[in-house]
Amino acid sequence: MRRRSVSYAKYGYIFSIPFVLAFIIFSFYPIIYTAVIGFTDLKGLTKTDFKFLDNPFQNFELILHNPSFITSLSNTAMIWIINFIPQILLALLLAAWFTNHRHHIKGQGAFKVLFYMPNIITAATIAILFSSLFGYPMGPMNDLFKTFGLSQESVNFLLQKWTARGVISFIQFWTWYGYTMLIFISGVLGINPELYEAAEMDGATSSQTFFRITLPSLRTIMLYMLVTSLIGGLQMFDIPKLFIPNQGPSNATLTTTVFIYNQAFSGSYMYNRAAAASMILFLIITTLSGVLFFIMRDKQAAKLRKQEKNRVKEFNKANRISARRAEV
Amino acid sequence: MKRIFSVLLVVVMIVSVAFTGCGKATTEEPANTAASSDTSAPVAEASSATEPVAAPAVTDDSSVKVLNLWSFTDEVPKMVDKYKAAHPDFPYEVKTTIIATTDGAYQPALDQALAAGGASAPDIYTAESAFVLKYTQGDAYKYAAAYKDLGIDVDNALKAAEIAPYVSDIGTNPDGNLIGLAYQATGGAYIYRRSIAKAVWGTDDPAVIKDKVGPGWDKFFAAAAELKAKGFGIVSGDGDIWHSIENSSPKGWIVDGKLYIDPLREQFLDLSKKLKDGGYYNDTQDWTDAWYADMKDAGKQKILGFFGPAWLINYVMAGNSGGDKPGVGTYGDWAICEPTVGFSWGGTWVLANKDSKIKKTVGDIINWITLDTSDTGLQYMWANGTFSIPEGKTVGTKDTVASGTVMKKSDGKLDFLGGQNMFDVFVPAGATATGKNKTQYDESINSLWRDQVREYTAGKKSRDQAIADFKQQVADNLGVAIN
Repeated sequence: MRRRSVSYAKYGYIFSIPFVLAFIIFSFYPIIYTAVIGFTDLKGLTKTDFKFLDNPFQNFELILHNPSFITSLSNTAMIWIINFIPQILLALLLAAWFTNHRHHIKGQGAFKVLFYMPNIITAATIAILFSSLFGYPMGPMNDLFKTFGLSQESVNFLLQKWTARGVISFIQFWTWYGYTMLIFISGVLGINPELYEAAEMDGATSSQTFFRITLPSLRTIMLYMLVTSLIGGLQMFDIPKLFIPNQGPSNATLTTTVFIYNQAFSGSYMYNRAAAASMILFLIITTLSGVLFFIMRDKQAAKLRKQEKNRVKEFNKANRISARRAEV
Repeated sequence: MKRIFSVLLVVVMIVSVAFTGCGKATTEEPANTAASSDTSAPVAEASSATEPVAAPAVTDDSSVKVLNLWSFTDEVPKMVDKYKAAHPDFPYEVKTTIIATTDGAYQPALDQALAAGGASAPDIYTAESAFVLKYTQGDAYKYAAAYKDLGIDVDNALKAAEIAPYVSDIGTNPDGNLIGLAYQATGGAYIYRRSIAKAVWGTDDPAVIKDKVGPGWDKFFAAAAELKAKGFGIVSGDGDIWHSIENSSPKGWIVDGKLYIDPLREQFLDLSKKLKDGGYYNDTQDWTDAWYADMKDAGKQKILGFFGPAWLINYVMAGNSGGDKPGVGTYGDWAICEPTVGFSWGGTWVLANKDSKIKKTVGDIINWITLDTSDTGLQYMWANGTFSIPEGKTVGTKDTVASGTVMKKSDGKLDFLGGQNMFDVFVPAGATATGKNKTQYDESINSLWRDQVREYTAGKKSRDQAIADFKQQVADNLGVAIN
């Protein structure tokens, strides 16, 4: 008798249809469209038809020779690095404290909520809050400076390049370290507790456990954090855009996405150039992510795999030799 | 931040599919126009719609129930509410979308809504003077309906209302049709403190003060030095003089497709530096807390005055004067006189969507707002403060309006100005206003320019460097040729 088997696979396909449809319409199509118009002459508000340029890479060349674009790339990198390094360090430290087996910290939940809180506030609100904190000639920061005698005159903080960049980095740091910490904590909790017990038995100190067990075991989580933060950091838009309405003193806070926005929406509607710039940014992000994956790859496992391969090869060789001998 | 970026991508897509929606709307229109009419016989209309006639009857599509209104303040929405209240048989639900112009958010949103078309596209939308040209003569003018296609007898109405020429110049599209009008007149004055003028010059008479602060910037700075000697500033920030410089220069930012820095506008660098070096101002930026604070003497030094049109008095200064009746705060301690250089600042132009299906109603509302000179018309109420009367008061805020006919029969006495009739100064000031020095890029270019000037006056870079950086930024961000 033939047994009827039920295939559940089709339900999987059915349930994924809404997502796939939404993705195709709202993500995939725009991405392809953006990629295409980068090679065209689509410019101007009321225009919807376009033709490909005689030199298809003209927009890319124009963007790569645009001094503001180059500035925006270095700004983005600087702002990201200044915010990311302290953010990872602090998040790791907090994660290590919160997951420590020896001294159980009280009120952990409350702390986690408090640290995560800045991430809940919308970026626009934070940007406007900070821009009034640093208001000139009157504002809380200026009042503080005068009270502590740091300066007699009002300081126009946002005309100083590094202050402007620094504040944006700080905002990014402050809103995201809680999130990073939570991810690390969940990563640490996923580590086999027997490792910690064994380490404790062998008399390892806290710092030894952290550096020898926690950190190496967090590698995949760390990779995830690095890559998502890299993508988010290079696409930094809302805080820089809203904190200083233009691009700060001498383009100091012009990030790449703000630059792209300006190309498309600040008056000239150069959709083609904005698209070309977006594609360049996309390539940069892809390359850097690839580099991160390469650096963070599991070297031990790769070595093992290689050894295994070699062993198999040796084994085969030996077999072949013995087979030949047998023939002889 | 990822989210915002993906929103941008979606927006780009919307633009790409936009023309489909518009195309549909226009093809359906003739049938709908014929099907519903509340003025004349439907049969006659159906035949007339097919042949080209000089003045086609304007009607509403009875299947439409919603009037979409887009604006950047609640001013025009409130007018439409008032119109609705005065017309009990008004059949439409008014759907209002208000997006502030700060950070340039209004224009991209409006552009998308206009481009996308369909049932939720704006029927009536407004544009501020800083970017109105884009919607009347620039990239977006094709979205607007000519007033004559809304059933408005444009030529006669303009004459009867004596609309200031610059208002209709700005509102006329390249095809020669009027597509937008403002209800305000925004000629500017110097609005100064009576008590400070008395302390420095012994009088607060506008006829005397106007000779102290002008005409011309030399007299202005002479007055600034006199004020400084007694511990007062002449203006709050460089933005105050910028608006009068910007709008008094003969040419705009773009001439023959290239960036052009008018000598008067370039001079702003030097005037601004002079203000800073002499300590003649509090170095505030307009529309920030410090700027508002100077309206009630809360700044570092007391400030003699501000440059602005009537709306600045009513909507900004009165509310920030620290009082609401004479004697409280700085309320009532103000007067106005002719400015150092004649200028205009701001104004709201009202436009209609050419694809609107309720053109008759839209036309009626726009006519009531911009051209009706009767005592029940919007402009009369607007000028005389009877549009909305706050509780416990006999009169609301007054404003100068675009119609000369209305201004002649209106009374501009204000408690805020110590009983001075502001129309005496503002009506002649309207004559200096011009629409010829504006471009559709003004909002973006102005803010780039003012940022560079601020860096120069703060001593962060040289004058040449500031101009070079400005040019570079315009070229990089707007793709405008600079040489």
